[in-house]
Amino acid sequence: MMRRLSPQPLEWINRSQSVTFVFEGEEIKGFDGDVISSALWAQGHKVLGRSFKYHRRRGLLSFANHDINVMLQTADTPNVRGDVVQPEQGQTYKAVNTFGSLAQDKGALVEWISKFLPVGFYYKAFYSPKFLFPKWERLIREMAGLGTVDTSWGERRQPKRYRHCDVAVIGAGPSGMAAAIAAAKQGVDVCLIDENPYIGGSLDYQYANEEALEVTRDDLKTTIAEMDNIQVITSAFVAGFYGDNWLAVNSQQGLIKLSAQSVVVATGVFEQPAVFRNNDLPGVMNASAAQRLMARYAVAPCKEAVVLTANPEGYRAALDLIKNGVVVKAILDTGCGENSWSVPVKQAGIPVFENAAIIEAKGRKALQGVVYAVNGVQQSLDCDGLLMSVGWAPAGAPLYQAGSKFAYNAILEQLLPQELPQGVFACGRINGVFEIVDQIKDGQQAGMAAALAVQDKSVPDFTDYTATRAHSHSYPIWQHPKGKEFIDFDEDIQIKDLKGAIAQGFDNIELMKRFSTIGMGPSQGKHSNMNGIRLLAKLTGKSIDQTGSTTARPMFHPTEVSHLAGMRFRPERLTPMHAFHQQAKAKFMEAGVWLRPEYYATESSREASIAAEVAAVRNAVGLIDVSTLGKLEVFGRDSAELMDRLYTMRMSNMAVGASRYALMVDDSGVVIDDGVAVRYSDEHFYVTTTTSTSDSAYRMIQKKVIEWGLKVTVLNRTGQIGAMNLAGPNSRQLLSQLTDLDLSNEAFPYLAMRQAKVCGVDATFIRVGFVGELGYEIHVSAQDAEHVWQQIMLLGESFAIKPFGVEAQRQLRLEKGHIIVGQDTDGLTNPFEANMPWAVHFKKTYFLGKPSLVRLKTLQKRILVGFELLSAAADDMPLESNLIIDDGEMVGRVTSIGRSATLQKVIGLAMVELACSQVDSELTIKLSDGRMVSAKVVKTPFYDPQGLLQKPQESALGGAA
Amino acid sequence: MKFVTCPSLGRRALSEFTFGGRVEKETDQEAVSEREWAEYVFYHNGAPKTQQEWWYHRPTGIWFLFQRNTLTDSITQVDFANKGLTNDA
Amino acid sequence: MPLRLLKYAWKKSEDEPRFFPEEKPLKTSYDVVIIGGGGHGMACAYYLAKEHGITNVAVLEQGYIGGGNTGRNTTIVRSNYLTSEGVKFYDESLKLFEDLSTDFDLNIFYSTRGHFTLAHTDSAMRTMRWRAEVNKHHGIDSEVVDVDTIQKEVPYMDMSCNGQHPVMGALYHAPGSVARHDAVAWGYARGAQMRGVEIHQKTKVSDIKTKSGKVVGVQTDRGFIEANSVVSMVAGSTPRITEMLEIETPIEIFPLQACVTEPVKPFMDTIVVSGSLHVYVSQSSRGELVMGASVDPAELHSTRSTLDFVEGLTDQMMDLFPFTSRLKIMRQWAGMSDITPDFAPIMGKTDVDGFYLDAGWGTWGFKATPISGKTMAYTVANDRPHELIKPFSLDRYANFELVGEKGAASVGH
Repeated sequence: MMRRLSPQPLEWINRSQSVTFVFEGEEIKGFDGDVISSALWAQGHKVLGRSFKYHRRRGLLSFANHDINVMLQTADTPNVRGDVVQPEQGQTYKAVNTFGSLAQDKGALVEWISKFLPVGFYYKAFYSPKFLFPKWERLIREMAGLGTVDTSWGERRQPKRYRHCDVAVIGAGPSGMAAAIAAAKQGVDVCLIDENPYIGGSLDYQYANEEALEVTRDDLKTTIAEMDNIQVITSAFVAGFYGDNWLAVNSQQGLIKLSAQSVVVATGVFEQPAVFRNNDLPGVMNASAAQRLMARYAVAPCKEAVVLTANPEGYRAALDLIKNGVVVKAILDTGCGENSWSVPVKQAGIPVFENAAIIEAKGRKALQGVVYAVNGVQQSLDCDGLLMSVGWAPAGAPLYQAGSKFAYNAILEQLLPQELPQGVFACGRINGVFEIVDQIKDGQQAGMAAALAVQDKSVPDFTDYTATRAHSHSYPIWQHPKGKEFIDFDEDIQIKDLKGAIAQGFDNIELMKRFSTIGMGPSQGKHSNMNGIRLLAKLTGKSIDQTGSTTARPMFHPTEVSHLAGMRFRPERLTPMHAFHQQAKAKFMEAGVWLRPEYYATESSREASIAAEVAAVRNAVGLIDVSTLGKLEVFGRDSAELMDRLYTMRMSNMAVGASRYALMVDDSGVVIDDGVAVRYSDEHFYVTTTTSTSDSAYRMIQKKVIEWGLKVTVLNRTGQIGAMNLAGPNSRQLLSQLTDLDLSNEAFPYLAMRQAKVCGVDATFIRVGFVGELGYEIHVSAQDAEHVWQQIMLLGESFAIKPFGVEAQRQLRLEKGHIIVGQDTDGLTNPFEANMPWAVHFKKTYFLGKPSLVRLKTLQKRILVGFELLSAAADDMPLESNLIIDDGEMVGRVTSIGRSATLQKVIGLAMVELACSQVDSELTIKLSDGRMVSAKVVKTPFYDPQGLLQKPQESALGGAA
Repeated sequence: MKFVTCPSLGRRALSEFTFGGRVEKETDQEAVSEREWAEYVFYHNGAPKTQQEWWYHRPTGIWFLFQRNTLTDSITQVDFANKGLTNDA
Repeated sequence: MPLRLLKYAWKKSEDEPRFFPEEKPLKTSYDVVIIGGGGHGMACAYYLAKEHGITNVAVLEQGYIGGGNTGRNTTIVRSNYLTSEGVKFYDESLKLFEDLSTDFDLNIFYSTRGHFTLAHTDSAMRTMRWRAEVNKHHGIDSEVVDVDTIQKEVPYMDMSCNGQHPVMGALYHAPGSVARHDAVAWGYARGAQMRGVEIHQKTKVSDIKTKSGKVVGVQTDRGFIEANSVVSMVAGSTPRITEMLEIETPIEIFPLQACVTEPVKPFMDTIVVSGSLHVYVSQSSRGELVMGASVDPAELHSTRSTLDFVEGLTDQMMDLFPFTSRLKIMRQWAGMSDITPDFAPIMGKTDVDGFYLDAGWGTWGFKATPISGKTMAYTVANDRPHELIKPFSLDRYANFELVGEKGAASVGH
């Protein structure tokens, strides 16, 4: 059976192009421009989906972009909305949440046992006996959920766009269009957004056949098309209205992040279904759904209709039906009475029954007739369509999110916005304005006001165009002794469910929602909230305002994850030597946003490669890229003062040309950073920070400079300077061939800093000892760094040089007992616990965190110690973070551990209670598998305790260059 | 998204800024009791109010001071930190 | 079909006993006033009545039962904390949770799913192992697992994380569970109410009165109530209450946001958390993916939603679960969190006699609901802190005795 009508004046379909797709195994032919639901209805389908809980047959309900009755599944997308999405040529669609098929859904068995499943039934069973709950839960989970996910689906990402405008108008119905034009005429930049593919809104679907409005319609649309300062964004909805008029506009092409100075909300109203027995039978639909079906897609909703109405809109819909050849058997008027269309309706010979009430809809698989009462007398009619026109609820989500309140207008029987926030305006039906002429005027004044607000001009007083008669029924709910009156179609909630919830004490709108799940489905209450409020108000004897409403949070409609996420952007920083590392087979690791070589895969295994790197540093020479260190330069009169205040050690007495360890704590005395500071001149320092803290340390130091009012400039040179550490007994000999700098101990002693050229470029050299060998940290400009690195590596071949990575450095420093902030310290470690009391200079009058440290020193309970493992068995190797146990109690943990090739021992650092920190104390370490191994506390450094190797005598070098 | 009107950059997205805590005058380290110092470090009245706060503009590396209400999130004043910080803050 | 449901064939659900009594007038005096009708407040009232025989109790709630953070969290229950104090405390909580359904005669949908906390860096691996070792030491089922084990349990997760920051391992906590958050509050409320406790919704406390350092009552928008014991259980709003007594705390309020997708059929049984990616996710029994991240970047006493949150979360989600790009976000919301410097709660007595604090719940208050109720009830009944909450006293900061929970990374749901 085809229900396609002859061409309609404003139809959206392109009859010259057909689209073929498969629905539940059947081939469907529609037109270009159809949505899935319209094509199905046109082909005679009435059962388009199954309900969530009872698997009742469902057809079209609201057909207004939130009709959750029709949700479909394709091979690569769940929960496709039939009333929004246009069918893809050749695509296969299936109804979601059916067991078997849409026609033969085994899930419908649930309805047979529905009397055992009262509201909140799952709270009242399944928990005893306890061991059965997981099985029940699995069953409940399988029954819940709509579409299915195939976890092999790949990633989809849709680019986002930014847009700024003066005035955004949400909704392009009559008032929205008028608002956009009025605003644009003030010369401001306007975006007009509508969720449908074409502008027009109710002016088109509700008044498609109203010849008197043709001029108005053409005028609005032509003006919008002609005005350069109106951008029309269709097939897009405002998913969220965020702070400062930041609108998330979700279009089919992706998210548009729209920043508007003023916003006009012309979103209109959602038609609300009437609540009566079997109101969900396919064929029972909102009057506006039928009007959309006819006007947009030229599809007849039915052959023989009955209209249940409480407002003039129902009469209007009846006229549209007869215009399209549908027999209207009756208008059941539940309280509208005389109105502007009652005369033409009567002229058309449609029987109008006033004082009518609906009793039930009848039909097996779809609507076959209605039972109703007129003046209390029960009657019935056969029909295949029942149009409900009993009222409206504001599409108020954008206004709620913007912070406005709604109050009930008892004349209109509708919630209207109150106290709009600054820069936000409302017009049209959401404002209670129902006559087209008035809607246009209301739109004009809102659009004008929005534009004037942008221009900081005063806004004239608003004229009130609010309708003076009801357009909604005050209580469109007709209970039936046998039930099945659905309030929430998403969740299959009936009157008895809400009554049950209220009777059990869930008599607050939010509690009722949470217990009954009304409004929690995919339409988020667009069909159900208003009737839920009306019912609750009635049962509790409160007014609608006292009853209140639930919060309308984003998203307005469910919004694709791929759109919200947008393109993937994870910046990575590479050092100037990155290309070399890659060629040298580096295995990279992430260090903050940087990639650093963890080791170079030169040997057969990771361990062997690292061991070779360690050996090279200990026996010959190694080179490590330390460009990722934070590098700050400090200039100015108060430089020394700043350094003294920032770090725990005194820095002001450091000589020009010297370096010093720099340890920083926060106000509470916790170690947050360490590095090396050098002094270029009296008023010029250079200091490194750990890789991951470079940005936060720089930020914090800048803040302190301001707070302390110091005359000092701090520059973050991290990215501008490349750095490397050349270490090992051969380092001096190697380096001497690349620089004119006198590298002798006298001229360049341990911990000194020198500035000179290396490989022809300017460099800062610092004699450091982090890895415990003679070593030079070389800092050069980033653009020279690779050149210097390459030269050192080239020349280094004859000195058996090897590049080494972070892992070898970790082992080398462990042999020296040097800490790594963040590994050997945790979120509460202070310098005393880190066993660095020497790094705290209490004689300074002031430094960051000093009073905390004074206090913490007296409260010390734990300390970082070195230990060596007594067992040599390979499988006795503890891991970092293994616990230290004493008499069954936790007394500490391993923070660093490694097998020292140099010392032929397993050594480590552990944070332990003071009681077990004495040298030679035995520590019992609990392995991850629960076995215990023994270790003993030893002095650090483990390697070269006197530090002779990092400051060797000239003779030890076998003849300096 | 919030927007901030910066004295020299105009309207900027708040997401360009990093929150740096409220402005608090540091207690004099010399003349402070243990309890007073602990109060400075840890304790405060965290109830909603309008307060002066540090905000760091990452693209330019400049610290600003905002006058912000922690209940309404409205920002009523934006100053360069090196100009706006008064010693009795 | 469980037998318990059979009775509904002839019994209307309207005839079921009420969970909460109808509105009653406030009395002029109670033995104990609990401010805050969320899970914690209801649990405290329940245990006061059940275990200490104190029933002349009023719970005052400015909104509705469970409408604060109880109804806004992502319902995860676990005990794999970093410190001994934390582990012992939450382990007791978990044990109580396991029996709540039978205690209440109300199914709270306590569903044990297993909880993975992913590590993407070697430093995160060290933290995971630290937590695992401390957990095991206290008898908690917790273990560091390797990539293969994770892949076997969560086969649909992209372990390479889109090629960047691949998963290196995880902390696996088999008892990790989810529960129906509202039902926990309702069950406690019904149990407390049945034992004589009064619950007053839409009742706002505007002041707490003291006389020579002792609490004497609270001022509400429905009148003054005498009470010598007042308990603040309003995490997310604590500073507004402590301000009434001029008590300063380290608590700062930060919003914490969450969102859910449209419901889909079950595919995800486990709970997955990634601290580095700022994502945690589980699938509810309704089929929605429930997702959250870390707290918002600035102090704010508001439950507004932001686009930044949902953009960031969905972006990071896809690194782990690329197929979720086909899902849709249905709803987002926010709660307010009491954040403390050491990521541990503040519980127990205060300098004001008769004023007790249950606060500082950061982003993990839900999982502490039963135990905080129980220990706070003990503390109020005996006017001395319960053993389990001694480490969480307000003056620990002044004594520089912080709890080291901060090491357990920022996203730890």
